[in-house]
Amino acid sequence: MIGPSFIFLFALTAYPLYFSIKNAFRYWNLQTSPVPLHYIGFDNFKNVFAFTPFFASLRNTLIISFGGLLIELALGFIIALALSARLKYVNIVRALLIMPVTVAPVIVGFMFRYMYWDIVGLIPWLANTIHFPQPEAGYLGSPITVLPALLLPDIWQWTPFFALVLYAAIIGVPHEIIEAAKVDGASPIRIVRSVILPTIKPVVVVIGLLQLMRLFNTFDLVYVLTNGGPGDYSRTLSFSLFREGLINFNIGVAAAMTIIILLILNVIVFAYSKLFMKGTKF
Amino acid sequence: MRNNLIQKTGISLFLLSILIFFIGPIVWFFALAIRPPETAFQSPPSLFFKPTLESLKYVFVTPGDSLPQLVNSILISFGTILINLPLSFFAAYALSRYAIRGKSAIMGWYLGLLMGPAVVFLIPYFILMNNIGLSGTRLSIILVLQLVTIPFSIWLLKSFIDDLPIEVEEAAQVDGAGALKILSSITLPLCRPGVIVTMMFAFVFAWNNVVFPIILSNAESATIQIGVFSYFTSSGVQWGQIAACAAVAMTLPMIIFLALDKFVVRGLTFGSVKG
Repeated sequence: MIGPSFIFLFALTAYPLYFSIKNAFRYWNLQTSPVPLHYIGFDNFKNVFAFTPFFASLRNTLIISFGGLLIELALGFIIALALSARLKYVNIVRALLIMPVTVAPVIVGFMFRYMYWDIVGLIPWLANTIHFPQPEAGYLGSPITVLPALLLPDIWQWTPFFALVLYAAIIGVPHEIIEAAKVDGASPIRIVRSVILPTIKPVVVVIGLLQLMRLFNTFDLVYVLTNGGPGDYSRTLSFSLFREGLINFNIGVAAAMTIIILLILNVIVFAYSKLFMKGTKF
Repeated sequence: MRNNLIQKTGISLFLLSILIFFIGPIVWFFALAIRPPETAFQSPPSLFFKPTLESLKYVFVTPGDSLPQLVNSILISFGTILINLPLSFFAAYALSRYAIRGKSAIMGWYLGLLMGPAVVFLIPYFILMNNIGLSGTRLSIILVLQLVTIPFSIWLLKSFIDDLPIEVEEAAQVDGAGALKILSSITLPLCRPGVIVTMMFAFVFAWNNVVFPIILSNAESATIQIGVFSYFTSSGVQWGQIAACAAVAMTLPMIIFLALDKFVVRGLTFGSVKG
């Protein structure tokens, strides 16, 4: 019964993998030839490091992935705690809070592009009003602020996800345990640390991995908001791969880059599961 | 008692400011769709204005470039779940009920596909679709979308089937019913909510996807999400039209998520957290 979907998916994934492995060792630029040319050994891999801003992209990707994950997790947890006070209208708050998650990431990009716009958008105006420092080139235009500015829409979109999932996990903590801790005179901070956090840890570990991978693949926001600029300061690995393969049409170099990215991703997932997911089974 | 009141007021105020932060940008963007263009950028920002339907009319009526894109989005999203659901349901059932060797590895592989970098698939499929003459068709987008929607649906459906008591099926088996009979007359009806929820999520997945149509679609098969880009040109940025097009594209997923309500957490975590 698993057969049809398995074969279908296998074919759908095997082809790109085969394509990438084969062409990573061939010279092929789509602008000069419709088919791969000669075998060139590891030259494409060398070119990934020599001619594409690979390390800048890797650095940006890692900052976005881990920075984004930590901020979204922390903010989401605080909101989840506030929700778990079980006020009357919590269901309305919950329903409204999920709205950012429903918006397509490119539209989130346009939403924020509008708010960041020049010196007249909502965000520059707000910053001016409260005298918050603002680079001359705008938040998206300055090398120092571009990564935080790019991360803001992601934080806006995905913090509610953390909040709602963690809320679901927190209200799953048996009420008696919390009451018992209160009776024993535990402070609220102590209750969070010793009762709530250990119980929701398995959930945090799972959604942490899902979101880490999602952040690692950040593409849409870069595409709409910065196009990788200024310079290479907001390029992510996915965006660099897109540029190399579908703008510069260096299929060979892009194939090599694909393999490098997949290796890095596997190392991260492996390390993550060794660190946090001992004994977790699907 | 008083302490409690202060605490409750504090939490309420905190949640209110949270809501303003998370809903504000959406409201601000929806407002852009019905603003007179001259009020789009003002200092201070204008909260009140005379609403106009000009942008919406331009985008969807005359010349209405985005109307066919809306139709494409609907066709592609429905086409995607049409292929996706039957394939996923059988696989999810098998993975839930039978002892399959390497089950854990298979589920991990699906998760990898679901969360892996989509751009990796883009270049090979762009060239493949060109070579087999499917380039620019809706079908090409539907096929490539299966890469993410099938793994997603299998994960979510499996979590629903795992929840069904296996005893009913075993009883039917004792009565001599075949595997297909059990599946169609017992499991499927019991699992109907799960199937509907999965279908709705997969629909939104397909609807909101941009990475694949960016490369695989052409002027004829462009989706509404791609349409948003067409009002952002080097000769001028039509913010009102961008927002009008985006507002329509955003509305359907919002309604679907409101309807999904209790299942949102479960769907977004691929069934691994039962909210």
